[in-house]
Amino acid sequence: MKVDQITTEIIRNAFVSIAQDMNATLIRSAFTPVIYEGKDCSVALIDADGEVLGQSLGLPLFLGNLEICVKLIAEEHGWDYFKEGDVFYMNDSYMTGTHLNDATVIMPIFWRGERIGFAASRAHWLDVGAKDPGTPVDSFEIYQEGVRWGPTRMHDGGVPRDDVIDLLRRNSRFGESTVGDFNAQVAAAKTGEQRLKALYDRFGAETVDAAKEAIFEQTEANERAAVAALPDGEYEAEGFLDNDGLGSDPLPVKLRIAVAGDSMTIDLEGSAPQARGPVNCGFTQTVAAARVAYKLLICSGVSPNGGSFRPLTVKSPPKTIFSAEEPAACGWYFSSLGLLIDLVIRALAPAMPNETAGAHYGDSMVITLAGHDPRFDDQYYLMIEPTTGGWGGFAGGDGESSLINNVNGSFKDLPIEIFESKYPLRILSYGIREDSAGPGRHRGGNGTYREYLVEADSSLFLWFERSVTTAWGVCGGEAGAGPNVIVEHVDGRREEYLKIADVAVKRGTVIRSLTGGGGGYGEPLERDPAAVREDVIDGYVSTAAAEEQYGVHITADLEIDAAQTAAARAAKT
Amino acid sequence: MTTYRVSADIGGTFTDIVVESSDAPAVIGKVATTPANPAEGVVNGIAGLVPDAKDIEFFVHGTTVGLNAFLERKGERVLLIATAGAGDAYTIARGNRQTLYELHYSKPKQLVPRRDVHEVRGRLLWDGTEAEPLNAEDFAPIVEKIRAENIRAVAVCFLHAFAYPRHELQARDIIAAALPDVSVSLSHEIAREWREYERASSAVMNAYVAPVVQRYLENLETELRGRSMPATVHIMQSSGGVTTAERARQTPVYSLLSGPVGGTIAGTAISRISDRGNLLCVDMGGTSFDLSLVIDSKANTTLETELEGLPLLMSIVDIQTIGTGGGSIAWLENGAVRVGPHSAGSQPGPACYGRGGTEPTVTDANLYLGRLGARSLLAGAMELDEKAAATAIEALAERAGMDPIPFAEGILAISNAAMADAMRTITVSQGVDPREFALVAFGGAGPMAAVFLAEELDIREVLIPPFPGTLSAWGMLQTDLRQDLTSSFFQPVATADLPGIVSRYEELEEDGRRALREQGVADDRMSMQRTADMRYVGQEYTINVAVVADDDIDTMVENFHAAHERRYGHCNTAAPVEFVNLRVAAFGHLDKYDGSAMAPGTAGEPAGSERKAVFAGERHDTRVVVREQLPVGFAADGPLIVEEQSATTVVPPGWHLRVDELACLIVTHSEPEA
Repeated sequence: MKVDQITTEIIRNAFVSIAQDMNATLIRSAFTPVIYEGKDCSVALIDADGEVLGQSLGLPLFLGNLEICVKLIAEEHGWDYFKEGDVFYMNDSYMTGTHLNDATVIMPIFWRGERIGFAASRAHWLDVGAKDPGTPVDSFEIYQEGVRWGPTRMHDGGVPRDDVIDLLRRNSRFGESTVGDFNAQVAAAKTGEQRLKALYDRFGAETVDAAKEAIFEQTEANERAAVAALPDGEYEAEGFLDNDGLGSDPLPVKLRIAVAGDSMTIDLEGSAPQARGPVNCGFTQTVAAARVAYKLLICSGVSPNGGSFRPLTVKSPPKTIFSAEEPAACGWYFSSLGLLIDLVIRALAPAMPNETAGAHYGDSMVITLAGHDPRFDDQYYLMIEPTTGGWGGFAGGDGESSLINNVNGSFKDLPIEIFESKYPLRILSYGIREDSAGPGRHRGGNGTYREYLVEADSSLFLWFERSVTTAWGVCGGEAGAGPNVIVEHVDGRREEYLKIADVAVKRGTVIRSLTGGGGGYGEPLERDPAAVREDVIDGYVSTAAAEEQYGVHITADLEIDAAQTAAARAAKT
Repeated sequence: MTTYRVSADIGGTFTDIVVESSDAPAVIGKVATTPANPAEGVVNGIAGLVPDAKDIEFFVHGTTVGLNAFLERKGERVLLIATAGAGDAYTIARGNRQTLYELHYSKPKQLVPRRDVHEVRGRLLWDGTEAEPLNAEDFAPIVEKIRAENIRAVAVCFLHAFAYPRHELQARDIIAAALPDVSVSLSHEIAREWREYERASSAVMNAYVAPVVQRYLENLETELRGRSMPATVHIMQSSGGVTTAERARQTPVYSLLSGPVGGTIAGTAISRISDRGNLLCVDMGGTSFDLSLVIDSKANTTLETELEGLPLLMSIVDIQTIGTGGGSIAWLENGAVRVGPHSAGSQPGPACYGRGGTEPTVTDANLYLGRLGARSLLAGAMELDEKAAATAIEALAERAGMDPIPFAEGILAISNAAMADAMRTITVSQGVDPREFALVAFGGAGPMAAVFLAEELDIREVLIPPFPGTLSAWGMLQTDLRQDLTSSFFQPVATADLPGIVSRYEELEEDGRRALREQGVADDRMSMQRTADMRYVGQEYTINVAVVADDDIDTMVENFHAAHERRYGHCNTAAPVEFVNLRVAAFGHLDKYDGSAMAPGTAGEPAGSERKAVFAGERHDTRVVVREQLPVGFAADGPLIVEEQSATTVVPPGWHLRVDELACLIVTHSEPEA
């Protein structure tokens, strides 16, 4: 059967819209702020064979692997395993690919007795019963990171299994909100179910199926055209994770991209073997990360479906940090994947000079402080915050300063007024870190600093990354500065840290965190001196750095000294 | 003696006028806006409708002057003064990304560049403790700069000023002493809420538009008075209430969206008068499509919004914009047919405007199918080029391998379905079901698409109010004076005491009464509405809960749980709850005329013509009637087209039209009409 283009387009829009409605339902009914404010979630509407019909452009790292979870269940149990009214929950890192906090919920959709598809979602749950609250920074086995669930029927033929749901509740420090978030995901799935059934009611199965095939073909054709436009060849890049969180040597991440005609293969051979610390992930998530990088460059901004990613193949040898096996720890899996994404963009820079960008500061840079707040009867407090940093310059402009990293969602920093009201902390200063950007014709963005005065004895946990491979430049641009955290203890000790677990900090300790800047794009000496002057006036670049990095001399009254600039630039080339 | 209540919606191109009279039906006027001196357009518009301007007893207007100054970045240069160590919070803008798949992301450009953000020492802590007194010396170089660079507007945002404003007040004294002519916006006076970035952004926006709006209002008042209109000039506020021009000059940011909200306020009036509690209000023009909700006869409002990514903390009618309209362009991609998001705008506009557009748009498809008449727009003042529309449609249809008629219908089907999808997503995220709403359509293009949208959304009833093209102006006459007051009040409900809350409310109400008295409102014409912002401990965002005078704290908490359930689908009655802000909306009730709110049509059978129009692939001989001639009680089945000066209403086969006693067109499914 062939469907006319008009109906096809209406159905295509409807698939995307159904996914958006599911997402809106999930965000509306979630219990934890990381979902309803941070948007740390993603949903997909999937067809009966496990192909994506529509997906909301939610958290990038969750892109393009919910359907793989559906296929894994079917591989293990067969497609008839799914009954009408079933709801499955799973978080097994080696199946879903991510850490145990990421909950995948899948519901099959039936219409007139036939299975027509699936509604699936993934959301970050606050606590799944790990040895420490949230996600431990020093785990070396997955059993320390929470309770691990294979695909488990939570609703059986429309009936919630209260005993199993109770198990979920009992294995979290925040049991009620965990069950609340699970129910929000079920509500999202039901929204998808209702709307997909309504679409079948309106158009009938034959029309929807035929339209679906046409949509997949269109998407594939668009993407293949974009890939075919790249010069054929082999592209490579390599970078290093600082360590595995447990004091290892730097871990290499290596990739080779082959572009041949309208196909692209990303091969991760040469990347570090499975690590002892929690920087591993399942291969499913590696595929998703590669798809994110691909999606940033190819047909970006268009909602993906079953025709997406067909030109892309991802390969990895077994038992690496990207294809971990039991019992590898996976709690901080996204550090490795963030680096992988940045490296794909770097590798393809020669082929896509207009689309590429210098690397960004790279990771979530998480600071955690916990203790008891004397202002509120010594009530327990837990403050976990990622920190923003600089992004890379690109052909069209400078990188942004103090912006949250790529693998985070719509995260917003915590206002100082909220910090100080909720936690026994005072923010002494917070701002944009001058001169931390990588120089370039289009410079990177600057990183961020924050200075905390600890006002109650507390424990400090840190996960700061990318000091070994700082944000590199592309097309002649230079690297940005790396991260650092300086702790001035009350006894006068001054320590520098990046990753630590449970360091005691007394009342009066000052913690100063610094995140890195983004890499530059193009030769710094090609930067317009007028732009350098603007940066000096705005305080993004110091006069000293203007001279040293750009050969631009700025006078005391903030004018360009043309003669000295010409001389300095000539001397540098 | 006949008296008049007059409103003017002063847009970029047209000024819409509505005149209500004490003893005759309301009349409307549409005149060209006179940007150099907007008062001239208003006076021109009123002249033909009111014999003597002295008889106008109430005048209200909406304006886009402030909004345009912002959109075109033609506001005043602003210098921002912040707490030492925290100035970058404004530039960092909370560090988030608003689109996630963008390697080349840039944050929304702030109105104040980093070089004009200055810090001064002086620090209050979370509980009001003064860690460091305000350092007056730090102001000296800033004052020097303001003077040297002739800066006219300053915004001040200090940490914790929402609760403890004393340093901000001192700062104003210091600046005023040195620079009496510089306009100063204090963050706590604009937005009394925590979150320093959002508060600074609100204060900066106020400072940015203040001089422009102040000049405009002064000029308008002088001009109108000079042309013998003695009535006080009122202005619509974004909250949906009105205020005097004098008051609006102090906080111009509150009237930034004064034009568009008029439509929603008209919706609330229609909801009350016609006894339909829930309305989906759809305002569709050439390039955009605004959606707002009326629930239980109240406009859905929010306490926070964003303009081009810049946050504003203030009470504002919640209007969601969907980027589509009559100008949306149809195009082909790899054999697929797409409509939008690109729009032909008003320049060149749809192909049929004959201004050089060659790509087919939604409006071209409507014309091609006969749903829109070549002489329908502006009562024939603007003739459409049918040939240009046909050429554009037929050329693209041929490339798509389709017959032009189904192709043109297809363009409309795609655009309607996409609009309906977007509407559904917005209602889903608000936790409401569109099927429980009636659809009110206005704006130039709204009534043409309304029934098709209703069909997509399973909505059974569509209302087209009188004057759909000037509904915002009409809405401005249906509301009351409003003053919003906020007091931050951080207390867990467990330890909060009722007398403390009550006395805080009474203080706010006294402030409200004072403000209303200044606007000439008698005490017996005032009413107060108390609300509280509450949340579960640990949440950042709050829910605004209505509070009545004899509520005790337990009742407030119960109401909060219920509101949370409605908004988010769940609540947790065991979790601790806290107060964040107490708010009062003070209303000064305005006298309105009875019965003349909407104009009835003329009696007798309307004259009509006929033209061919296509519905579901078939050409129908379709009756075309003139709206002004439709009497109350008129009824007919589709296909039918109703034309009026500012809009065309399309009733397809299977739908039924009647004119109710308020002169609204009511369109329903033919069958279920009981």
